[in-house]
Amino acid sequence: MSSNRLVWTRTSIWLGFLALLALGLGLLPAYGFSLAFWFYLLLWITLASGLNIMAGFTGYLPFGYVAFYGIGAYAAAVTVKMHGLPIWAGFIAAALAGVVLSLLFARTMVLRGIYFSIVSLALAVICRLLIAAMPEDVAGGSYGIALGFSNPDGAYYAMLALMLATLLTVTWLAQSRLGMALRAIRDDPDTAETVGINIGRVRLKAWVLSAVIASMTGAIEAWYTSIVDTETAFNLLVSTKAVIFAVAGGLGTVIGPVVGTVVMLIVDDLIWQHFPVLNVFLLGLVIVLLMMFLPSGIVGSLIRAKPFLRRILF
Amino acid sequence: MLEVNALRKVFGGLVAVDTISFTVPENSILGLIGVNGSGKTTIMNCINGIYDATEGAINFRGTNLVGKKPYEIARLGIGRTFQVPRLFRRLTLTENLMVPVLEDSRSNAELTEKANALLAEVDLYRIRDNHAEELSGGQQKLVELLRVMMLNPDLILLDEPFAGVHPNLCKVFLDQILKLKDAGKSFILVSHDLTSVYSLSEHLLVLNQGKKIAEGNAADIQHNPDVIEAFLGR
Repeated sequence: MSSNRLVWTRTSIWLGFLALLALGLGLLPAYGFSLAFWFYLLLWITLASGLNIMAGFTGYLPFGYVAFYGIGAYAAAVTVKMHGLPIWAGFIAAALAGVVLSLLFARTMVLRGIYFSIVSLALAVICRLLIAAMPEDVAGGSYGIALGFSNPDGAYYAMLALMLATLLTVTWLAQSRLGMALRAIRDDPDTAETVGINIGRVRLKAWVLSAVIASMTGAIEAWYTSIVDTETAFNLLVSTKAVIFAVAGGLGTVIGPVVGTVVMLIVDDLIWQHFPVLNVFLLGLVIVLLMMFLPSGIVGSLIRAKPFLRRILF
Repeated sequence: MLEVNALRKVFGGLVAVDTISFTVPENSILGLIGVNGSGKTTIMNCINGIYDATEGAINFRGTNLVGKKPYEIARLGIGRTFQVPRLFRRLTLTENLMVPVLEDSRSNAELTEKANALLAEVDLYRIRDNHAEELSGGQQKLVELLRVMMLNPDLILLDEPFAGVHPNLCKVFLDQILKLKDAGKSFILVSHDLTSVYSLSEHLLVLNQGKKIAEGNAADIQHNPDVIEAFLGR
């Protein structure tokens, strides 16, 4: 089978799977399922996939990814609560906030490797402190903002839509020229520039895209919980979990972050059920073992072990 | 085609390239030779924008390259290979060849076809879907040259193309260079393999400790006492 036909076939199968998934997940509220687990499953898949655009496709690991999530949550909350606008206006504000913050932080991408990761982490902490220091009538101060209303079903559908949009975007990216340029930058930015890629412009596109996904996720979570505060919205565990889930599945693959999130959340749930006291210890152990024996993640390691799978998994 | 005037590159207190001038005419091969640390690769890096020249001018068909970014220089029509091959290791061979032409207006199918045709010429088509990191060093050098060919530059900088390459693969490499030369391309060739440099280059530049110590054709260079001293010692 030719390469083009293979790509077409595997993409069609994947899109078919996504359509079925959307249908199944869309029916959950109608059948009275508890939405909490499913909402957060969708949220983590979205965040891990959004982070994958930067870390997996472009090679920049933003430990401060939570900054975009937090700013999105606050932008939506301020728009809705302080200015009395509807939630869709809050989503637009969140997306704009993500774009603006990513452009402000874009200069950090001249740094590479661990230096970039550390600076992005520091910027996330600075964002949290700045928002906490703002007057209460501007951003709720250190107490945060209570939206005063919630719509879990609406938030669930919004998260489902964002997750699907994110996965479709990543699927397109994996097969697009932009995606190929990003992967070339990931492998060797200097050489990519030497062969004619404007690496500054290309990685900025990925950075903004990745940031908007996180800021929209933060906004939807704010709607779901109806409360936003700096400790939760800028909690570094958000970045950490997104990184762990994406790495567990396989950075740089489309389905890796999905598989990683599902597996890790199920393992976490099982450990909670059977070993509540040892939960954190056992979860840590699982992560250590995973990284030791599957350093490229579940999907990434499968592809490395069996190169022919490259034609099927992506 | 290319004019380098009084090029100087200083790293801290080290003068890596000391006021070097030379020209590369259209459809020619210039050989750059010298012992390790003589400044050959630094000159290449200044030409394609990896390093900013400390002083001097580099003009390519009337455009001053100093201060331009590597991607701008690549788009002007200058391609290069590296001493240690630098492929995109987790991209397939076909993808590696497509990277320089991602902004091309041709369709993906056309670009893939072109890339695969080049791979077929050097018998690498059968492993076109392999990742570049799975190739041998010699094969990587060959794919790097093919990647340059995809860009279709007018001037190609080759840094040690024959180092560590099996003689059979060297032959394939030489054939490709000659084919490109016949197609009107120009080259700057850096190599320790003097036999190849002498046979390929119309003009040679000999460097020692960042300075030009000789210039001329192969016959002149081989009998130049300064060159003999620099390579063999007194």
